[in-house]
Amino acid sequence: MNQAAIEIKGLHKSFGSLDVLKGIDLTVKTGEVICLIGSSGSGKSTLLRCINQLTVQEKGTILVNGENIGPANDENSRDKKLSNAEIARQRSRVGFVFQQFNLWPHRTVLGNVMDALLVVKKMDRAQAKEIAIARLEEVGLADWSEEYPSTLSGGQQQRVAIARMLAMEPDVMLFDEPTSALDPERVAEVIDVMKLLAKKGHTMIIATHEMNFARDTADRVIFIDEGVIVEEAPAREFFTAPKTDRLKSFLNRLSV
Amino acid sequence: MDFEFRFDIVWNNFPLLLEGIETTIVLSLLTMVLGTIIGLFVAIIRLRVRRIFAVPLIIYVEVFRGTPGLIQIVWIYYCLPIVTGLQLDALTSLVIAMALNVGAYLSEVFRAGIQAVDKGHIEAATALGYRPAQITRRVVVPQAAYRMIPAIGNVFVSAIKLSSLCSVLGMAELMYQGQIIIANFFRPIEVFTVVAMIYLLMAYTTSLFMMYLEWKLAWIKREDMTLWQRFKHISHASFSLKPQGDV
Repeated sequence: MNQAAIEIKGLHKSFGSLDVLKGIDLTVKTGEVICLIGSSGSGKSTLLRCINQLTVQEKGTILVNGENIGPANDENSRDKKLSNAEIARQRSRVGFVFQQFNLWPHRTVLGNVMDALLVVKKMDRAQAKEIAIARLEEVGLADWSEEYPSTLSGGQQQRVAIARMLAMEPDVMLFDEPTSALDPERVAEVIDVMKLLAKKGHTMIIATHEMNFARDTADRVIFIDEGVIVEEAPAREFFTAPKTDRLKSFLNRLSV
Repeated sequence: MDFEFRFDIVWNNFPLLLEGIETTIVLSLLTMVLGTIIGLFVAIIRLRVRRIFAVPLIIYVEVFRGTPGLIQIVWIYYCLPIVTGLQLDALTSLVIAMALNVGAYLSEVFRAGIQAVDKGHIEAATALGYRPAQITRRVVVPQAAYRMIPAIGNVFVSAIKLSSLCSVLGMAELMYQGQIIIANFFRPIEVFTVVAMIYLLMAYTTSLFMMYLEWKLAWIKREDMTLWQRFKHISHASFSLKPQGDV
């Protein structure tokens, strides 16, 4: 449990003249569940996207299980540019769940979950199907495997997206506001799935606005504001005894 | 009105029109195939390279969309041999001219279709570890192809009618053969009416084929929906755009 699953040092990212991340340092232990909170535009999404190289940082290093992800520009970097295949292999080890689910509309639920096994892991169809069905059972949607995503509710689609990520057996799982696009009555079903994953000991980073979920599930909660980590603490402490004024006013606004 | 329709003249000379139909079909099919290749090539290059390198392609597209097809055909027929020194037979140079015209339109159809694929779908594949070529094959093409079919059908139908301009250069296609009959019997109304109906038939056959392709490529196929039911469904859809019920 002590090995670092993710090690981030001095992460900077800007879009044009807008500095989104201004030096993030973060270490996540294997099996740890982290919740990222902060207002919109604080840099939560950008931080998660950098870990999977959907966004490439300007400065700073990211290690996942000790392996350098993306361009390394510290002094002892093995500074070779990674090939497309290398980057793709690294990404396949890091699962990502999007706010908008991003299921492929032209494939069935089963097709969505097993496609990466066929294409990326080069499994044969029977084996991929077996794994996909097992993952769909885990999120409670095995009965829906022949349906197309457009016939599912938002909550169901997000659970399929989670199953699709699980099928790849990633080392770490990143969730970018997975419940923010859902109707309020659909939030719970997705939260329940994430709680289950947390219980199973997966390494997870979840950007979320669901404070109750963060308090109940996270090992550690991190508050990001204007591109820097303002405060981090174990979940109970974080909500009951916030230290900084910025976090206090943020929690007050949410009245939790 | 003592005008008398003399369709018998058209029927008596129908073998002439049949020869024309054959040439029109050959011209149109070659144009569609070559035009599709050109269009795909231009669209993909335009999406891949920096804007500066895309400028010649943008100029090509705008020139061929913005000038009359007749002038393009005449120009390439007469000027291409002078400029390049290549001696091409009539069919080849006419097909090249029309394919360049059709390719310009199709490249925009393809570009729009590819760009319309949700960025999130591409990111989802990226995050799972797909390489760019795999994303194109598994995510972009299946979605783009289906959505582009109606627009491609438009361009193909136009291509059939565009081929009538080849008559100006003495290519013995349908329009040219019709004009020969007119020159001999002075019956333009009857001949043009029949020629127009033949074009309509060819265009409608193309439309039906595209409709079939659309049905074939659709990912959600209800098994009880035959092609005929699909046809009725599409016909209905075009009317149901009007607001229904209380608005």
